Amino acid sequence: MKKIWLDSYPKGVPAEIDPPACGSLGELLGRSCARFRDRTALSSMGVSITYGELEGLSRDFGAYLQQVLRLQRGERVAIMLPNLLQYPVALFGALRAGLTVVNVNPLYTASELAHQLADSGATAIVVLENFARTLQEALPGTAVRFVIATRVGDLFPSPKRWLVNFAVKYLKRMVPRWRLPGALRFREALEQGAAQALGEAGVGPGDIAFLQYTGGTTGLAKGAILTHGSVVANVEQVAAWARGTLAEGAETVITALPLYHVFALTANLLVFLKLGGRNVLIVNPRDIAGFVAELRKTRFTAITGVNTLFNALLNAPGFEAVAASSRGTLKLAVAGGMAVQRPVAERWQKATGVPLVEGYGLTEASPNVCANRFDSREFSGKLGLPLPSTEVTILDEDGREVAPGEIGEIGVRGPQVMRGYWNAPSETAKAFTADGWLKTGDMGRMDERGYVEFRDRKKDIVVVSGFKAYPAEIEEVAMLHPGVRDAGAVGMPDERSGEVVALFVVRRDPALTAEALLAHCARHLTGYKLPKRIEFREQLPKTPIGKILHRQLKEEAARLHG
Amino acid sequence: MAEYPAHLVREHHLFDGRTVTIRPIRPDDAPLVREFLDELSGESKYMRFQKWVHAPSDKLIHFLTDIDYDLHMALVCTARHGEREEIVGEARYVSNLSGGICELGIVIADAWHKTGLAGVLMEDLIHAAKERGLARMEGFVLSANAEMLRFVRALGFKAERAPQDPTIMRISRDLQGA
Repeated sequence: MKKIWLDSYPKGVPAEIDPPACGSLGELLGRSCARFRDRTALSSMGVSITYGELEGLSRDFGAYLQQVLRLQRGERVAIMLPNLLQYPVALFGALRAGLTVVNVNPLYTASELAHQLADSGATAIVVLENFARTLQEALPGTAVRFVIATRVGDLFPSPKRWLVNFAVKYLKRMVPRWRLPGALRFREALEQGAAQALGEAGVGPGDIAFLQYTGGTTGLAKGAILTHGSVVANVEQVAAWARGTLAEGAETVITALPLYHVFALTANLLVFLKLGGRNVLIVNPRDIAGFVAELRKTRFTAITGVNTLFNALLNAPGFEAVAASSRGTLKLAVAGGMAVQRPVAERWQKATGVPLVEGYGLTEASPNVCANRFDSREFSGKLGLPLPSTEVTILDEDGREVAPGEIGEIGVRGPQVMRGYWNAPSETAKAFTADGWLKTGDMGRMDERGYVEFRDRKKDIVVVSGFKAYPAEIEEVAMLHPGVRDAGAVGMPDERSGEVVALFVVRRDPALTAEALLAHCARHLTGYKLPKRIEFREQLPKTPIGKILHRQLKEEAARLHG
Repeated sequence: MAEYPAHLVREHHLFDGRTVTIRPIRPDDAPLVREFLDELSGESKYMRFQKWVHAPSDKLIHFLTDIDYDLHMALVCTARHGEREEIVGEARYVSNLSGGICELGIVIADAWHKTGLAGVLMEDLIHAAKERGLARMEGFVLSANAEMLRFVRALGFKAERAPQDPTIMRISRDLQGA
């Protein structure tokens, strides 16, 4: 195949990345800490830590896992934290100790969490106290032996620490009562770890850095196996793409997307750590007033987000002033995770002076595959060009490459691609073609300049603000309710989230209300998967042989939406 | 009551030496069909019904087992374990009233994939449809179900994208003539 996209690369961006200088993410952090020791690495709620401090804290935490808890190389440690300083400390602690990280969405329900813990075989978990109650319910039947609980303010200096922890627990009442006998405290772990030496774990490119969970057709999430080598390569690929746009030791990026999601993990935390930049962690971007207030205080040069987030900012009171004052400083705004709506992109550029640069990726590719040029003058409406050392092709149903310009399934090869799914050899086999192309499940085409365009999704997936929801999982949960005879879930267009879930239900119990069914669903499903609309029907549209007509349901949902 | 098409009962030897019986379904197969569907993996059920199927309802079981052998034909494939009979696969078509075109559906027990069972089941179903004078067999397959698409292409089906829904492929094969 000919890499036609290379002719469209900006000057200075190489076709291939150099063989990575570091064999592991721990080494990547080590290099940055040595080069940028006194620079600020992270800020959260007005508190900052330097590269040197991050190095020390993650060393202590890693030593605790390795020497006190005696976790062995390759054991899985789950991290169930929002964007707080504890996240990178726990992350690098675990990685430097040779452990594999399992990122967990803190908003998961107990059943979703239980599956992820059991499937990954995690033996330890770091959890924010606010979510410990969910963990308590999910824990039985898992292999978890150690629970390390932390409070929001645990890495803040006193008295801010006490004030924040007191306010979260007693004033805002954000911590549901929990009881986990034997649970350890994050601060105590750091203290005990400080007295230990972190042994050389001998982690290399082939070691597994992450089991990164992503939805499966019939509901149960699968863990994509991402090695240190894959993730380091993806960091290098994005860094190479940023040459000429981002400078070392000079950038501040707004990290509002959750770090447990692979997009922010790589594109924000890891890429900007490599560049010696500062990550400003936003713990709750849904608190839009708080988010805008934070931006007002911060001089930032880059921001990443999904369409929903940029749209929310543009509609937020006070953002206009932020946008005006960031003119001249803001260099780069990257959107990924979901399709970007042109009106949002145009409003963004008008407000801030920089275009929204769209990127494309997926969990199975660490995740970055394509990006538009960072020196773009305007929003392109395309997914972008394949990154350095990345091959993209378009495949037909049999996994063969189609003729140039034709539509098919987007296939990816490159060092950033996963090894497979954890404990799921048949799923893994189905994810790749005989020629080693990762089948993305996204349908698109490549234009004559090498830009990849998105057309549709191959599988029935509803993408809510960049998070994947599978209809089968929602249908399964709905049908657990005794009052439901049949259920069909489909995507419905939505201005805010791009798409939301609509659920069509045939009742067994005629008295069943939408509220009662929604309450039932909320016990099993994370918020974004919850149906935003429940419609009762006498029957679902089916073909004669009994296959549900999703298209017809989708059309109905679109009509309901108006 | 429609007459049971006993002439469609056949024995088949699979590659691995096992013998199975293919026969039209009967109303008294209801418990076996329920067992069969219960044992299917969530994924296999999803591929068949293109939605999540929990415990099959009595209505669904009735629809699947009480057929007229005319517009609606279903073949089950059974294996014997001593006295016990087990359904390990089923294929069916439903044709429209104006005649000529029928829609097909097939599902094989997870443990019986890659035994050649699906092939013989489909051949028998196509044979039954031809015998009824039907002109064309059609079906809807999830685009993501590459295995099924390869399988039906080998049986002479054409596959094309369903209009307006890229998640579905429409497959079809002429029954008469060739």
